[in-house]
Amino acid sequence: MRLNVLPLGGYMANREQLLSGLEQAVVNGKKAEAARIANEVISGGVKPLDAIDAGLIKGMMVIGEKYAAHQIFLPQVLLAADAMYGALDILLPHIPREAAAKRVEMVIGVVEGDVHDIGKNIVKTMFTAAGFNVHDLGRDVPADSFVSSSRSNNAQVVAMSTLMTPTMDSMKATVDALVEEGLRAKVKIIIGGAPTSMEFAEEIGADIHAVNAQDAVAKVKAAM
Amino acid sequence: MAEKMNHIERDVAALSNKPADRLPTYPLAMGVCRRLLNNNAGITYHDWVTDPKRFADAFIAGQKYFDFDFAIGLMDLSVMAGDLGSHVRMDEQNTPFVDDPVIKTVEDYEKIEVPNIKDPKSRSNVLVEGTGMFVKALGSEVITAAFLEGPLLALTQSRGAEFVFKDMYDNDSSRNAVHKALATITEYDKEMVKAFAQKKPAGLVWDYLWGSYSCLGDKEYDEFEGQQKYAGCLNELVVKEGMANCVHNCADLPHLDTQVTKFKSTIYSMAYYPLIPGSMPAKEVIAKGYSDNCLMAGNIDPQGYVRWSGEKMQKTTMNLCNEVVKALKDRGLGARYCIASGCEVPPAMVTKMDNIKICVDTVKQYGTFA
Repeated sequence: MRLNVLPLGGYMANREQLLSGLEQAVVNGKKAEAARIANEVISGGVKPLDAIDAGLIKGMMVIGEKYAAHQIFLPQVLLAADAMYGALDILLPHIPREAAAKRVEMVIGVVEGDVHDIGKNIVKTMFTAAGFNVHDLGRDVPADSFVSSSRSNNAQVVAMSTLMTPTMDSMKATVDALVEEGLRAKVKIIIGGAPTSMEFAEEIGADIHAVNAQDAVAKVKAAM
Repeated sequence: MAEKMNHIERDVAALSNKPADRLPTYPLAMGVCRRLLNNNAGITYHDWVTDPKRFADAFIAGQKYFDFDFAIGLMDLSVMAGDLGSHVRMDEQNTPFVDDPVIKTVEDYEKIEVPNIKDPKSRSNVLVEGTGMFVKALGSEVITAAFLEGPLLALTQSRGAEFVFKDMYDNDSSRNAVHKALATITEYDKEMVKAFAQKKPAGLVWDYLWGSYSCLGDKEYDEFEGQQKYAGCLNELVVKEGMANCVHNCADLPHLDTQVTKFKSTIYSMAYYPLIPGSMPAKEVIAKGYSDNCLMAGNIDPQGYVRWSGEKMQKTTMNLCNEVVKALKDRGLGARYCIASGCEVPPAMVTKMDNIKICVDTVKQYGTFA
């Protein structure tokens, strides 16, 4: 029989305390704390999926709402994201295969020629918090890398960003490559970044344009 | 309606809130003007940003071709980071950008040093000397200004914005390290201000990009740029050195109360993001009083210079002129708004030079107070 009373910071904590601890670690941007509690979740027999949903994601939702309301700003969001990833690194390997398979696979990257990735990283965080399995290709990503990652990960969503005008053409090149490789019908394509627009998305054959991370999650969820 | 004015007369009238024959205009067409060089065959970005004469020649050619009301010496946003030791990637026709920041760890913040800006190989030197050349060539025709990265922008370019933002609040040690680097870069900025002042531009434009409510709140911005020991003393130095203190911030939701009002900016250039809640159109900026003591500038979508037809550019510019003139009249102001592009006109090969010309010509026709 599993314990429902677990060690937390030298004390004994129950399931609810662990989930709340994870949530607070994310909200307060405490990566080491999040990782420590995640380890206690595993050793204590709490379901990792519960810890993600009722702990980490709950925390990131608080962060997302506060950021949207301009109560907190990028430094706090980024530290919260770090805390979430710190715990996810520990929890994800323990998720049962069948549960992991239910997550939507997403490929994300900054297109070739551009290295501005802070916006992409915020979007990645919010999609991760929304339960997507995000494969981050990083920045300055060529079209064929989007293609190969989409294929190997069975992606249902491809997300691209750029902050610069000259590299907007790389978005079109990626859409074209997905078409040529026969993957276009399998994925929803979302684009973002300061110079982009829905008009541009339509022009290059993408499905969705979003102005920020929360807009992106809402629109992709609606489109799935 | 005022008699037809020359560029400087119009600029001075706008800056001093006097009647002008029309609104001033300056689409932020800097890098794109390199395409006018070499008998309109253009030159590469590398050649433009590493040779002071070529840098200046693009502004001179741009003025001749487009007939702007200002000339502001923006090169790109990797000048200081490059001279601090970051690797800057220069594609043939793409804005140079940092692809390998010099600060890789928290410990590295304390290792950066003010570079020798007199070294002819440094791009700081190219920027200062090139600015001096176009100021000399155009200073009697238009209001000229140097352009310089603020301390926090130069730091984020040297470390990566995401890392800097996390280091700000990760722990006391990383927070102190960020401040030490900002202190160093502030000294670098001071040297640049003094060097620019020797070239006698009428003003200096700071890029204080991170004063944006999408990025930092008032408290965070004040601690890491707005306070006296950073932007405060730099703004004062600009004025002390005989230049008008100006700010450009193309981020969404800029800190107008700080960057326009508290900084006492003479010119403030900003963008408008209609899809972002809270982003202010020109009429709102004017109605809220930001033009009362500052020449505000904006806000045509820079993408329009790439993607729009000539007709759409004309109509958009005309509508903005009408919006601005009405708002200025309602507020009892003179020509306190410059029709500009919010961000730099994309310096890409696909940018339509005709659209820049159309924008300027439309302001001449429809930017009047009749």
